[in-house]
Amino acid sequence: MIIEVLYPEIGNLYGELANIDYLKRSAKDVKIINTSLNDKPSFLSHRVDLVYMGTMTESAQALAIEKLKTYVKDIKQAIEAGQRFLITGNALEIFGQKIIDEQTVTEGLGIFAFHTIRAMMKRYNSLYLGDYQDIKIVGFKSQFTTSYYGEEIEPLFITQRGAGFNKGETKEGIHYRNFMATYVIGPLLILNPLFLSSLLNEMKIEYDLAFREEALAAYQDRLKEYSDPKTGFYY
Amino acid sequence: MKKIRFIFALVMAKLAIIALKITHHNGTNFPGIVALRICPDFLAYVNQPQKMIAVTGTNGKTTVSNLINDALKADGLVVLNNSLGSNINTGIATSLIYGVNIFNKEKYKIGVFEVDERSAPRIFPYLHFDYMIITNLSRDSIMRNAHPEYIRSLLEKYVSKDTKLILNADDLLSALILPSNDRVYFGIEKMASDLKESHNLINDIRVCPHCHHELAYEYVRYSNIGKAYCPHCEFKAPSYDYALGSVDTDKMTAVFKGPDGNHQYRLLNPSVFNIYNELILLTILSELGYSMTRMEELLNKIDIVRSRFNFETVKGVEVVMLLAKDRNAYACSRVFEYIATSDRKKEIIMMMSSISDSKHWSENICWLYDADFEILLDKQVERIIATGPRGKDYTLRLALAGFDVSKIKTGAIDEAADKLLLNSDSTVYILYGTDSIGEALKVKNKIIDRLKEEKQ
Repeated sequence: MIIEVLYPEIGNLYGELANIDYLKRSAKDVKIINTSLNDKPSFLSHRVDLVYMGTMTESAQALAIEKLKTYVKDIKQAIEAGQRFLITGNALEIFGQKIIDEQTVTEGLGIFAFHTIRAMMKRYNSLYLGDYQDIKIVGFKSQFTTSYYGEEIEPLFITQRGAGFNKGETKEGIHYRNFMATYVIGPLLILNPLFLSSLLNEMKIEYDLAFREEALAAYQDRLKEYSDPKTGFYY
Repeated sequence: MKKIRFIFALVMAKLAIIALKITHHNGTNFPGIVALRICPDFLAYVNQPQKMIAVTGTNGKTTVSNLINDALKADGLVVLNNSLGSNINTGIATSLIYGVNIFNKEKYKIGVFEVDERSAPRIFPYLHFDYMIITNLSRDSIMRNAHPEYIRSLLEKYVSKDTKLILNADDLLSALILPSNDRVYFGIEKMASDLKESHNLINDIRVCPHCHHELAYEYVRYSNIGKAYCPHCEFKAPSYDYALGSVDTDKMTAVFKGPDGNHQYRLLNPSVFNIYNELILLTILSELGYSMTRMEELLNKIDIVRSRFNFETVKGVEVVMLLAKDRNAYACSRVFEYIATSDRKKEIIMMMSSISDSKHWSENICWLYDADFEILLDKQVERIIATGPRGKDYTLRLALAGFDVSKIKTGAIDEAADKLLLNSDSTVYILYGTDSIGEALKVKNKIIDRLKEEKQ
């Protein structure tokens, strides 16, 4: 399995690179390609099974957009051709049309029809409980932003508790062909061993989840806690 | 109208102080809460001491503020500070209320305030600080602080353009802030323990701000703390105006180098972050005009408060309480590094598991994957006890760090002491969070009782 991590030197907030470490321990024969800001993404010219990009700061987001803009046409083609992506946290906003701040508008890559509103003084933190097909997803959100679909886009998750793409939306993230993006931050794949298994099955990758028993025990505890109506969801 | 509201707020706050004294409730923020409730821009009207120093940053601001207060007091000055209150707007308002009389006449010539970096919008637009020390900026609680660039943006937005900055040249995240402000830089020259590459999970400034290639280091201590440069362009970390060199943690000495020459001082504490704290003290004292010899006299009269480090030995077993700030991976990694320096057998109780969070919601555990648990991977670690509701998350994280799962025990806090092996010549570390010191003391006492009973 070849995993390309786009811009790990900036997309590394909230422990998200642990997702890649967990994949490396769980899937068979994993090769990691760390692509830096000044490098051309490998998936544009070589076989890559999964492209990953994680949460970053707002200035890093602008930098990532600037670097990826050169390849928009090729990225679109790769997505249409079925290239697998997993994009987490605010990295997903890079693929939208624009990020509207109080004073600035940053044009995104424009690959998907949604836009983002950013308010640096109105941050929210929440737990997340949602569905991916018949699998329950648990996790965290921590955002200065909310996003709004411009047209019908298949979401990655359907929200049960917590915020979706925005606080009034139950749809969460983007799932187009093999492009998967979610606002859920942190060690998503470690917290959700069933989702990771499903992802690797879809990709037809041979695997054996590292510390499966411990991961499932932690997942079951969290799922029970998040399903309890007494558990507060917003911090 | 605003002035009348301010006068009313000041009078009510002064009455609140009297009420608190009568009821023996000193040291609260209540007067400040009263004043700000009546007059939201109270801080803009209350008179300040003639010279104002703010100490902010992610780590070390309490220690640095205390060191400056202690040094100035040792010099005979009467210093207004918020060491007994909080470091947010209500705590600082409370201190300033104490600092003026009922006619708003200031009683102090100098004020030293620890300022919560997240509170910048509620403090810096109203108060004028002559100096602002930024100890460092690093990752902290995700929920509260997001990421350090966000905190830097708050300081950049609200700190006055005529405040002189005292900045850490070894921390590029804070060193490059507010480029038009007057500034001096401090830093520690190469130390024997320094590395060439950062090995920590957290490194929040990995790329050159000019050309975006990865930065390299002449030397690095942890995360991004060190002397950075870009191998691809001319960019490099700022030069030191004030430096500590020849740091010798065996002899506990270092040489302070400033514009007025060099002078050897005793180290107050051997840990790297406390050496930085001492350097900051020497830097601000130099800026205030103190001579090298006078600073040495003052340094001999003060010490670093040990409240964050509690140590006891019972029949050969050491019991050490360490503050490991909950939800703060950066601070926890520094604690892990400290523990790793000991070559004794170790047992570690992890109880920095955000007790308050578990009452209202469920802790965001992303920080576990930012913290360097791998540092603890040592054959001398015989047992780790992860307490609280996140025990299974800790178990998984520790397993992924490489620990033998059979060495990890989980359970309630009050069961922790019973799960220890307490082998001879071992050290038990109790890592407590900001809201669990009371529980940690109970655990410590239970361990000591157990040791006394079993080893008779």
